[in-house]
Amino acid sequence: MMKKLVSVMTSILMVSMLLCGCGGSKAKNGELNVFIWTEYVSESAIKAFEDEYGIKVNVSTYSSNEDMLSKLKSESEGTYDVLLPSDYAVEYLIAQDKLEKIDRQVMTNLSCISDAYLDQPYDPGNEYSVPYEGGVACIAVNTAKVDKEITGYADLFDPALAGQEVVLDDNRAVIGMTARSMGYSMNETDRAKLAEIQDKLLTLKENVKLYDSDSPKSALISGDCTVGMIWSAEVALAMDENPDIKIVYPKEGAYVFLDNWVVPKGAKNYDNAMKFINYMLSPEAAKMNIADFPYLCPNSEALAQMGDEYVSNTAKNVPADVISGGEFVKYLDPDTLAVYDEMWTKLKE
Amino acid sequence: MKEESREKRIKKPSGDTLSALVMVGPVTLIMVLLVAVPLIYVAVMSFCSIDEYYNVIPRFTPENYERLLDADYLKIYARSVFIAFITTVLCILIGYPFSYVIARTASRKKKILYMLVIIPFWTNSLIRIYGWRSFLGSSGWLNSLLISLHIVSEPIELLYKNGTTILGMTYCLIPFMILPMYTAIEKLDGSLLEASSDLGAKPAATFFEVILPLTSSGIFSGSLMVFIPCLGYFFVSDILGGGNSDMIGNLIERQFQSGNNWPLGAALSIVLIVLTLVLVKLYQKLGGDMDALGV
Repeated sequence: MMKKLVSVMTSILMVSMLLCGCGGSKAKNGELNVFIWTEYVSESAIKAFEDEYGIKVNVSTYSSNEDMLSKLKSESEGTYDVLLPSDYAVEYLIAQDKLEKIDRQVMTNLSCISDAYLDQPYDPGNEYSVPYEGGVACIAVNTAKVDKEITGYADLFDPALAGQEVVLDDNRAVIGMTARSMGYSMNETDRAKLAEIQDKLLTLKENVKLYDSDSPKSALISGDCTVGMIWSAEVALAMDENPDIKIVYPKEGAYVFLDNWVVPKGAKNYDNAMKFINYMLSPEAAKMNIADFPYLCPNSEALAQMGDEYVSNTAKNVPADVISGGEFVKYLDPDTLAVYDEMWTKLKE
Repeated sequence: MKEESREKRIKKPSGDTLSALVMVGPVTLIMVLLVAVPLIYVAVMSFCSIDEYYNVIPRFTPENYERLLDADYLKIYARSVFIAFITTVLCILIGYPFSYVIARTASRKKKILYMLVIIPFWTNSLIRIYGWRSFLGSSGWLNSLLISLHIVSEPIELLYKNGTTILGMTYCLIPFMILPMYTAIEKLDGSLLEASSDLGAKPAATFFEVILPLTSSGIFSGSLMVFIPCLGYFFVSDILGGGNSDMIGNLIERQFQSGNNWPLGAALSIVLIVLTLVLVKLYQKLGGDMDALGV
C-alpha cells in the first residue's frame, strides 16, 4: 500500500515538474492570452508559434460572438490579449472604443492576404483588425434523396421539403436568409418589410426538422436531414463523408462572414499579440489552419501552396464572386433586434 | 479542569457567541454570497434597461415584465408546464415499481440495483443525451436493428419530436424520482402489510389503502424534484427535440445570447423562480416534508 502511494506521489511530482519545465522554456519571452472561436484555429499552428517565439499561449474559447462579448464585459480589462470576432462584432467593438490599433510595422505578412478581404465596411483601412478566415451560410443537398433542383434560399421554403431540413440555430442567419429570398437585406430595419419577412419565415416552420449550429453536418451525414442551410466548411466536411452531398451557393447572394484578429483595449501583452497575429497571417500557419478547419481562406499565398485539389473544391475554397455578391450581418439597434427576437420566438414556439 | 472550563464558558457568554459565530459564520457567508447576492442581482437586473450597445444600465423600467405576457411567451410557458407534467407522470409510473423492487429485495441485490440508478449519474448528462441521439437516428442502432430484423423497411423517424424531448427528460430526471420514493418505501413497516392481508384485504386494496398513502411523501418530493428541473433543461429540447419547440429554459438562454437583452432574461428567470416557490408552497400545503427534498 505504502509503496503504491509513494510511486503515485513520485509520478505526480514528475509530471508536474515536466509541466513546469515545459512552461519555463516556452515562457522565456512572456505569455499571451488568446480568446478564440472553438474548433477554428489549428492547435498545431499555435504550438508552432510557441516553439518559434518562446511565448506561452493560453487559449480560451467561445462558441458565439455574443458569448465572447459578454465575457469581455464581465472580465477586467487586460484579461485577454487577442480576440477573433466576426465582422459585425468588430464594428460593435470599434464603436464602443474597445480595441487597440494594429501595428502595421509588425504586420509583414499582411501582404499575403488577398485585397478582396481587406478594407471591409466594418473596419475601413483595417486600422483595428486583420482577417483570419470566413465562410458562407450556403445550402447543402443530398442529391441521392432530393430530386428537386435547388438553386437558392427561396427553394428551402418549398412545401415538398417538409420535415427534411437542418438549419443553423441562429436567428440572424435564418431570418436573413428569408429576407434575401425575398430580395430584401439581411439587416432590414423597416417594420413593414419585417412583417412581410415574418409571414414568409413562418412558412419555413414545417420544413425544418432540426436547428443546429454546433455540428449541423452530422444530421446530413447520418441521413436524418436531406437539405441544410449551414456553414460552407460544414458542407465541405459532410461532402468528404458522403459524396452524394452537394454544395449550392444561393443565387440571391449569400450570408457571408469574416472573422478577424483584434487586440482588446488594455491588453497586457500587446507586442506578443502583434507577433502572434502576424504569425497567423503567414502562409505556413494559414495552411495548418485550413487543413484542420477548411473555411474560406483570405491568404492567397497559402492557397497557392495548397495544391489543385483544395483550390478546385468550391466548398473549401469559396469562389470570390460568392463573397463579393454576399452580405454581412450588421449590428442592429436594440428595438429592431427585439423584433428579430420576436420573429424567432414565433418560429420556435 | 474540565468542570472549570465549562463553568468559565457559562460565565462568559461572549465567548459562546464568538464560537457560535465561528461555527455558523462561514455557512452564512457562503449562503449570502452564493444564494442571496445572485438572487438580488437577478431581481434588480430584471428592472433595468439596456442602452444602444445592449449594455445593462440602471434605469428603472417595468417593460421587461410587460413583455412576459406576450402571447408567444404564454404558449411556451404552457408547453413547458405540459412537458414537465407528462415527464413527471412517466417518472412516477416507471419509477414507483422500480423503487418498490429495490426497497423490497435482499441486501446484496439491492446494492446492485441501487448502483444501476446511481452509476449513469457519473457521466455528464449532455453526453448521455447525445448518446440517445445516435441511438435513435435514421442510421442509428435502433433503426439498424429493426431493419435487419425486417420489422420495418424504411428507418422510422424517432428524433426531433416533442415525444423525444419527453423521453430525454424522463431518462435524465428519473433518478430524482426513484431515490426519494425508495427512501419512503424502505421505511414502510412490513408488519403493516401482513396486518392488512390478515384482515382480509386483497393485494390491490392493500396497495391503495396502505402502501400508497404511506409512501406518498416520496412521490410528492420526487415529483417536485423532477418537475422543476424539467422546466429549465433547455439542452434536452435542443438536442433531442431539434430546437423546434422552445421551453422556458430556451427563452432564458436566448436572452443572454443572441437576443442580447439581459434584463428580459433576468425577468424570465424571476418568473421561473416564482413558479418554483409556488410549487414548493403547494407541496408544503399538501403536507409534504421539506427534509425529504434534501434541501
